[in-house]
Order: sequence, then structure tokens, then C-alpha cells
Amino acid sequence: MAEPLLELDQVYASYGAIESLKGVTLSVQAGEIVTLIGGNGAGKTTTLKCISGLHAVSRGSIRFDGRDLKNLPPHDIVRLGIGHSPEGRRVFARMTVAENLDLGAYIRKDKVETALDLAKVYALFPVLEQRRQQLAGTLSGGEQQMLAVGRAMMARPRLLLLDEPSLGLAPLIVQTIFQVILTLNQQGTTILLVEQNARMALKIANRGYVLETGEITMTGPASDLLVDPRVQSAYLGQ
Amino acid sequence: MDTLVQQLIIGLTNGMVFALIALGYTMVYGILEFINFAHGDVFMLASFLALTLVGALGLQQQTGMVFALELLGIILTCAAFAASLNWTIDRLVYKPLRKAPKLAPLVSAIGVSFILQNIGLFWGGMPLKVFGGGNQAAAPKAFPDLLPATNLLGPNSHLTLLPKDVLVIGASLTVMAALYGLVRFTKLGKAMRATAQDPTAARLMGIDVDFVVGATFVIGGCLAGFAAVIYSLYINTVHYQMGYQNGLYAFTAAVVGGIGNIPGAVLGGLLLGLLRALSDQFIGAQWQPAVLFGVLIVILVFRPAGLLGSTAREKV
Ligand SMILES: Nc1ncnc2c1ncn2[C@@H]1O[C@H](COP(=O)(O)OP(=O)(O)OP(=O)(O)O)[C@@H](O)[C@H]1O
Ligand SMILES: [Mg+2]
Repeated sequence: MAEPLLELDQVYASYGAIESLKGVTLSVQAGEIVTLIGGNGAGKTTTLKCISGLHAVSRGSIRFDGRDLKNLPPHDIVRLGIGHSPEGRRVFARMTVAENLDLGAYIRKDKVETALDLAKVYALFPVLEQRRQQLAGTLSGGEQQMLAVGRAMMARPRLLLLDEPSLGLAPLIVQTIFQVILTLNQQGTTILLVEQNARMALKIANRGYVLETGEITMTGPASDLLVDPRVQSAYLGQ
Repeated sequence: MDTLVQQLIIGLTNGMVFALIALGYTMVYGILEFINFAHGDVFMLASFLALTLVGALGLQQQTGMVFALELLGIILTCAAFAASLNWTIDRLVYKPLRKAPKLAPLVSAIGVSFILQNIGLFWGGMPLKVFGGGNQAAAPKAFPDLLPATNLLGPNSHLTLLPKDVLVIGASLTVMAALYGLVRFTKLGKAMRATAQDPTAARLMGIDVDFVVGATFVIGGCLAGFAAVIYSLYINTVHYQMGYQNGLYAFTAAVVGGIGNIPGAVLGGLLLGLLRALSDQFIGAQWQPAVLFGVLIVILVFRPAGLLGSTAREKV
């Protein structure tokens, strides 16, 4: 197999005395959708934060495209091609939808290409175009989620980290979001998807990892995990 | 009627100076949620520099191109000085405390304020002619009246409008317009607004938040340095405690306008200046603090987040 696009090797991280990642090892190949599932407090968000540089890795290494991310600040990591749609959306509430998307393209200088990507975001989420002059804080939760994903797309990342994009959304909107994730992937974006909605995530992913209290306990093709009795009883409510 | 208009002119000019200082408080607060109590003292030291430069250049009241350029040179030097000082204070004192409990940087800022006042006291004691030979370090120092005292409305007018009034109002408006343009239209301004709303999300956009914080201290410092020269030309005295007093007024203006809000700081500054002038004229200068702060408290009771501040919690 080719060298993975993203590779975590024995990653440890902690909040003060609490160790929340205890040797996480995982990899994502270019072109894949990989999902990371696990219960509350398992360390999914912390894993994504370590990748994008928001949280310090205390031991172990993270490599992206063959490059060690150690000690790189988040603003440099974005420039390497990692986009992160964070937990809780974190849209800029007092800015308009258009301004939020514009900030998503903060690192870019290619105006023409950026405009094309903006058109692409609006095509995927027509509601964002309708509301482009509206303040992001006044959008519904689902619309804010679409904005958070669209904003991350605007940097044209090679790897997109998505932290619970379906959280708190109506089933129809969840469908839309997952459809967009698939489309993005088909257009060439590699995706690492964190989800509590394990069923949906495993359905669209190529491979999956199960994280429990800071450790990877299972991994395999998503289709295998979907029918694994342990996954079914713990995460699929069967 | 004439007295009213006259007081409005006085209020407006004073208000402009408060607004310029208030902007420094509010911009830093907007980004760090921290009150830089030393900001007023940076303003004070810049005015000491202005007086020192006036002495060194031997400036006296005159007109002409060379004089205008010298004045501009003093303004730019003082702005650059205050900007560097503000930036250095942030890097040395506040930055190591960025993740500390909020009271730690606050107390440090009060400490820096006192240290800067002591530096002002020392500076005022230097044996310079413009400092009265430095014999009385703590005494107010006369800042020469560099602009002519001709009434622009004509010698027979009941109203007085001096060149320095025009200078204060005109220059302040220019600087505020420039600041507005910077915050609204430049890439740095965009980064500043994003950082003020959500530093974590801003990082994920590729914004170097440390740089943005540094830039904010530089801009706030520039405004304070600029305000220092304008104030000195207008009030014609400098004193090592003037930063403490004007800083407190400006800080109040920033809170009344809505702390963290840039137009709010300007509005609050002008309001404070006008209220002060009107209460001096119609109620009596000795009652000014009570009247002024009485009105401001009433405003805050009805609008606790300030005139332009938002009370709405954001969805996260
Ligand atoms: N800011 C913090 N301070 C202290 N502990 C934290 C902090 N953030 C997370 N933790 C702890 O680290 C562990 C992992 O948290 P994390 O947010 O990564 O979990 P998660 O898998 O994303 O959970 P969820 O599905 O609820 O979002 C938890 O035990 C949590 O309590
Ligand atoms: Mg989480």
C-alpha cells in the first residue's frame, strides 16, 4: 500500500492530569472516507484537535503527507491541506454567511478558483446561498452545520476532518450532510469523519476505527464493523 | 444659544481624545477579554515624548510647510513609540499569562500602569528646559501653544473656534476613518474580527492569532500615541498622572459604548466629552464627576452591555 496521507502513531494527549488519548494509532489513505466512532468522552474530538494542532500531543507522532506535524501551529497545518469542521460548529455568529465562507478561504490567494469553490458550496447547500447576507448566529442548527462544513471546504483541503456533522439535526438534514460528504469524497477530498451516528457513518465510510476511553479497540472495513456483534450492541443499538 | 454651541465644540474636542484612547481599551478587550489598565499610561509617556521632541526641535508657534512637517514627524514618532511600547508590554507581561486565570493579567496590568507612571515621574525629573529644568518632577509641565490663537470665525464672533479645535476634530476623524477601513476591508481587519468572535475557529481558518493580538496592541498603541500629541497640543500641559485620569474616563467611555465594540468606543468617548462640557457649563465644574457618572450609571442600568454592546448570547 502507498504511504498513508495521514498517520497517527501511538498518540498520547492529556488535559492536565487526565490522559484522554492513550496511544492512538490510525491511518487514512488518500481518497478514503474513514470514520472514528466511540461513546461520549472516548477522545474523538481530542484526536481531531491533535491532528489540526489545537491540542498538544504529549507523546507519539502525527504525519501528514509524509511530514511530521510536531510543534506546527494550527494556522500552518491548515496551509498543509487539513481542514477541520470542529465540534459545535463554531461559525462566526456576528458575521454573515458570505463572510464566514470568505474566512474559510483566508489562506488562499487564487481568487478565481476560490470563486468557483464558493459556487460549489452554494450548489451543495442552496440554503446557504439564499441566506448569504444573514448573520450566521441567526441560522438554524442544521444551517449552521452546513455553513461549518462549507467553510471548511473553502480552504480546499486535501483532508477534511468532520466532528459530528450530524449532531442534533433532523433526519432529512442528516441525509443531506452525508450526501455532501460522499460527493466531496468523490470529487477527491479525503475524509476523517467522527460520528455518534455510527450506522450512517459506517454506511458511507471505507474503513472505521472504534475508540474507547482513549484507545483504539477495533478497526476494519466499514462493512465488517457494521455487522460486528460488538459494534452492533455498543453503537448500533441492536 | 452661543454658550451651548461653544460647549458642544469643547465637548466634541475632548470627546475625540477620549474616543481615541477608548479605542485602544476596546480593541484589546474585544480580542482578549482583558482590560489593559496600562493603556492610559502609554498615552501619558507618549505625551512626555512629544514634549521632549518639541524641546529638542526648539519648536515655537509658527506656520509654514516645515513646521507642519515637524509636527507630523512628532505625531508619527509618538505613535510609533507608543505602538512599540504597547506591543512590548504585551509580549513581556501579558502573553505569558494568556492562559492564566483572568485576575493574573489584570493585576499585572495595574502593576504595569504604576511602573509606567514612575517612569513618567523619572522622565519629568530630567534636566530639560521644556520640563522646567526637571526640578519638580511631579509638577505639570507646560506644553507650548504651538498653534495660533486666532479665532477662525473672525475677531467679532461670539463663538470661538481655534485652529487647534479644527486640528483635533479633523485629525481624529481621519484616524478613525482609517481605523474603520482597516478593520472593515483589510485582511488583517478580517482576521481581527474573526479572532474577536472565536479565536479557536479563527485558528482553523489559518489565522495566526498571536500575530493578530500583537497587531491589536500595535494599533491601540498608535492611537494612544496619536491622541497624546493631539491632547498635548490642545490642553497645553502634560503630567505623569494624566494617563491614569484620562485612561479611566476613556475606559468608562468604552464600557458605556459597549466594550469590545469599535463604534461604541467612539460614541462613548463623544458622549462623555459632551456630558462633561455641558455639566461644567450648566451645573458647575465642581459637580462634574457626580453628574457625569450619575448619567453614565443610569445608561448602564438600562443598557448593561453598553449603548452598542450586544447582550444576546451566541449559539455555539
Ligand atoms: N477542555 C477539557 N478539559 C478537561 N478535560 C477534557 C477537556 N476536553 C475533553 N476532556 C476530557 O477528555 C476526554 C475525551 O474528550 P473528547 O471531547 O475528546 O471526547 P469525545 O469522544 O469527542 O466525546 P463526545 O462524543 O461527547 O464529543 C473526556 O474524558 C473529557 O472529559
Ligand atoms: Mg466530541
